[in-house]
Amino acid sequence: MSKLTVENVSFIYSAGTPFEVKALDGVSVNIEANRITGIIGHTGSGKSTLVQMFNGLIRPTEGRILLDGEDIWADAKKISAVRYRVGLVMQYPEYQLFEETVEADIAYGPKNMGLDEAEITQRVIESAKFVGLEEQDLKKSPFDLSGGQKRRAAIAGIMAMRPEVLVLDEPSAGLDPAGKKSIFEGIRKYAEATGAAVIIVSHSMDDMAKYCEDIIVMSHSRVAMTGKRNEIFSRGDELEAIGLGVPQMTYLMRLLAQRGINLPQDIFTVDDAEAAIIELFGGAK
Amino acid sequence: MKSIAFGQYYPSNSIMHRLDPRMKIIMGILYIVTCFLCKNVITFGILALSALLLIIISKIPIKIVLRSIKAIIFIMIFTAILNIFWTKGEDYELLLSWRFINIYSSGLYNAAFIVIRIVSMIIGTGIFLTYTTTPIQLTDGLEQLLSPLKVLKVPVHEFAMMMTIALRFIPTIIEETEKIMAAQKARGADFSNGSLVKRAKALIPVLIPLFISSFRRAGELATAMTCRCYRGGKGRTRLNVLRFSFKDFVALFLVIAFGTGIVLLNIYAPGYTM
Ligand SMILES: Nc1ncnc2c1ncn2[C@@H]1O[C@H](COP(=O)(O)OP(=O)(O)O)[C@@H](O)[C@H]1O
Ligand SMILES: [Mg+2]
Repeated sequence: MSKLTVENVSFIYSAGTPFEVKALDGVSVNIEANRITGIIGHTGSGKSTLVQMFNGLIRPTEGRILLDGEDIWADAKKISAVRYRVGLVMQYPEYQLFEETVEADIAYGPKNMGLDEAEITQRVIESAKFVGLEEQDLKKSPFDLSGGQKRRAAIAGIMAMRPEVLVLDEPSAGLDPAGKKSIFEGIRKYAEATGAAVIIVSHSMDDMAKYCEDIIVMSHSRVAMTGKRNEIFSRGDELEAIGLGVPQMTYLMRLLAQRGINLPQDIFTVDDAEAAIIELFGGAK
Repeated sequence: MKSIAFGQYYPSNSIMHRLDPRMKIIMGILYIVTCFLCKNVITFGILALSALLLIIISKIPIKIVLRSIKAIIFIMIFTAILNIFWTKGEDYELLLSWRFINIYSSGLYNAAFIVIRIVSMIIGTGIFLTYTTTPIQLTDGLEQLLSPLKVLKVPVHEFAMMMTIALRFIPTIIEETEKIMAAQKARGADFSNGSLVKRAKALIPVLIPLFISSFRRAGELATAMTCRCYRGGKGRTRLNVLRFSFKDFVALFLVIAFGTGIVLLNIYAPGYTM
């Protein structure tokens, strides 16, 4: 059984007004525990709408969301319990910080869960460690942090609830490469430590290639493709047809092959490319 | 698109939507004055018909209009009842008399007249102004209508700019509020259950980020405007210059003719007069 199942879900914004938008149209996907799943698609394809369904922030117009096989909307009063089990980091989460110290802000979620002081303190320290926030940063005001640090504090705020499913909507948008890297490493650490199902929304093919095992491709409110990373990126033509393209290294390998340099075509990251090229020259590192 | 979704504006391609906002403001005022000129059964009847006609011309669904009338239904019922019981019309037929309550036919007439007047006023302002004109068009129109006041050193442009910016950012701030509320809900915030104090407290995590981002936005906007050499209204030209066209004058003529007709009918038509 999948951890999270989306069953034929549709959603319409502003239904019944002249401003109707069909944001999701008959979407079905399965999300597994112990894996990192990427959701990719261009702006407006419905990614954010879909992930807000996962923790019950919006209710499907049609279809069901199953968590461990149970409909999360079976009892609407218990939806807040679902929100602790499915942690959602929204787009630009740094705008939700409000407490006097970073520590207190990370503790907001666990406090709402009704955990005791000792447990909360421990979780705050643990999740700060995941995202790489220093001990002294915890005592600062969140508004004195840099952009990247704010983002990490906000992500730690969700991790502190220790959700079984961790969903991140464009966690790396607008960050420099170093900031991106530390956030993705933090997410990976959380996934390894807890065995949670992790879902990352992005439109960077390179980030997806590097960190995700499964990929869901969205296009025009529908699911265009789902599969293992290698399967998806080997269908480069289809990806290009919906305007997405392949990771830069995959593209490079293709260009080299066209010039008669024979390299494997299932290369997605810089590290893989490096290894393949070294092997081509018959050398060891 | 969202910026015009705010307020009561209802998009459609009716002739009313295409009239010049300045003319619509003037016509709206004239129409309200006309509502107060009606005096007898015939003129009030015509007024009610004219309100219906306005709705049809502007292609606004009746459902939407009824919604705004519903908002003041209690005030309307209250005024109607006051009129029924308190109108003293010794010259008129006494319909019902019970202890100290006397209901005259004049009271019923007055109640009906008042209701028609209020409903027509609401429909009139709605059709001429809010339903068919975007808030931005309205401020633009108002700024130009009031521009003669600049001679008296009234900062008309500055007020209009403040209004425009406020209107422009209301939907943005609503959207932002929704986002922040969703983000805090994802962390277990509960805005709909618990005591009043508890619910008010639950808003702190929404209000603080909202204030911070509003100040940031205001600062950024001021910088952006300065970078594009904004320095107040003096010598400023506009992108969309409002121009009266033939249909605007025809519309104005019709409204004036309607008002004049009502005044004449008040004099010549028989029956109960308010
Ligand atoms: N709050 C909202 N109200 C109305 N329409 C919305 C809202 N949020 C998103 N949409 C619309 O729904 C569609 C899908 O949006 P979204 O899920 O945000 O896509 P993505 O995250 O892939 O960019 C878009 O057309 C967008 O304009
Ligand atoms: Mg999005």
